[in-house]
Amino acid sequence: MNYTYLECLALFGVGGAHPGGLQLTKKILAEEKINGDTTLLEVGCGTGQTAAYLAQQYGCSINVLDNNSIMVEKAQQRFSSLALSIDAKVGDTENLPYPDKHFDIALSESVISFTNVIATIPEIKRVLKRNGRLLAIETVLEQTISEKEQTQIIDFYRFPQLFTENEWLTAFRDAGFQRVDVTKYQPGLEQVDEQHAADFSLSETIDDALLEILGKHEEIMQRNKDKLGFRIFRCS
Amino acid sequence: MSVGQYRSLCQRYSGKAVEIRCHDGKVHRGIIQRIDRDRVYLQPMGRSRNFGGFGYGGYGNGYGGGYGRSFGRGFGFGFGVAFGAIAGIALLSLFWI
Repeated sequence: MNYTYLECLALFGVGGAHPGGLQLTKKILAEEKINGDTTLLEVGCGTGQTAAYLAQQYGCSINVLDNNSIMVEKAQQRFSSLALSIDAKVGDTENLPYPDKHFDIALSESVISFTNVIATIPEIKRVLKRNGRLLAIETVLEQTISEKEQTQIIDFYRFPQLFTENEWLTAFRDAGFQRVDVTKYQPGLEQVDEQHAADFSLSETIDDALLEILGKHEEIMQRNKDKLGFRIFRCS
Repeated sequence: MSVGQYRSLCQRYSGKAVEIRCHDGKVHRGIIQRIDRDRVYLQPMGRSRNFGGFGYGGYGNGYGGGYGRSFGRGFGFGFGVAFGAIAGIALLSLFWI
């Protein structure tokens, strides 16, 4: 069977599968005003590591969604083992199952990149309150690359597009965000420790083909180290 | 570290990706699935010698070079490493997008 990169993450049940992991998540959220009254949406919750942290740290109301049912199941297991009440749904970022102007904060940790950006961003904007904000950690194209290189990246990760920072900024502004602050994230500067290392909720059997995917991911990241970069976008 | 200390370290690192260096020079990389009285069981993560570094982070509390071979073919499922064989354990710093 041919697995995609995202299916591979789901079967390995990788928690915090985004640049910077849980450590970066904590840092970004520490700068936001979040309390028990805050309503928060996490698109692409994965195994729920971030949402569980948010619920425990801030006691805010959290809704999460992922288009992968294995991820949602693993997230639900995590939430119930920690006795957290977090609403987790299988769903599509391009057609969110939530009412208009509902959330104070929307969070995307390397999720929008894997969707049709032009459809997802306006949809997130729709469910945000007037003064709501979107926090997104996403992949950017840092420099011009050959069509062949670009195709290889896009095909492996199944990215519908690979945007430069400027293309991202245009997409956020076109969706109606007035202000976008951008921070560059440089991988590999922090030391991994026990508390922040990715946790894995493994599926019962791990097909050998999944190991090939991990290998290929490593190879692509290595080869494109200077060509792919990561940004934290804060849109309000 | 003693066998008991490695055992409790493996328990703490359960569900995490680690690199285990053995006294015979072998290096095993994988996710800690479970432990029993004598062994820690790992889910292999890849066949590549360098897997885990991703050219970015490297190791959490690294130790110097001289790595032996990584997993060979034939380790389909989690396999056990005896606590008594362990010379060092490090958390792997993995990079995901």
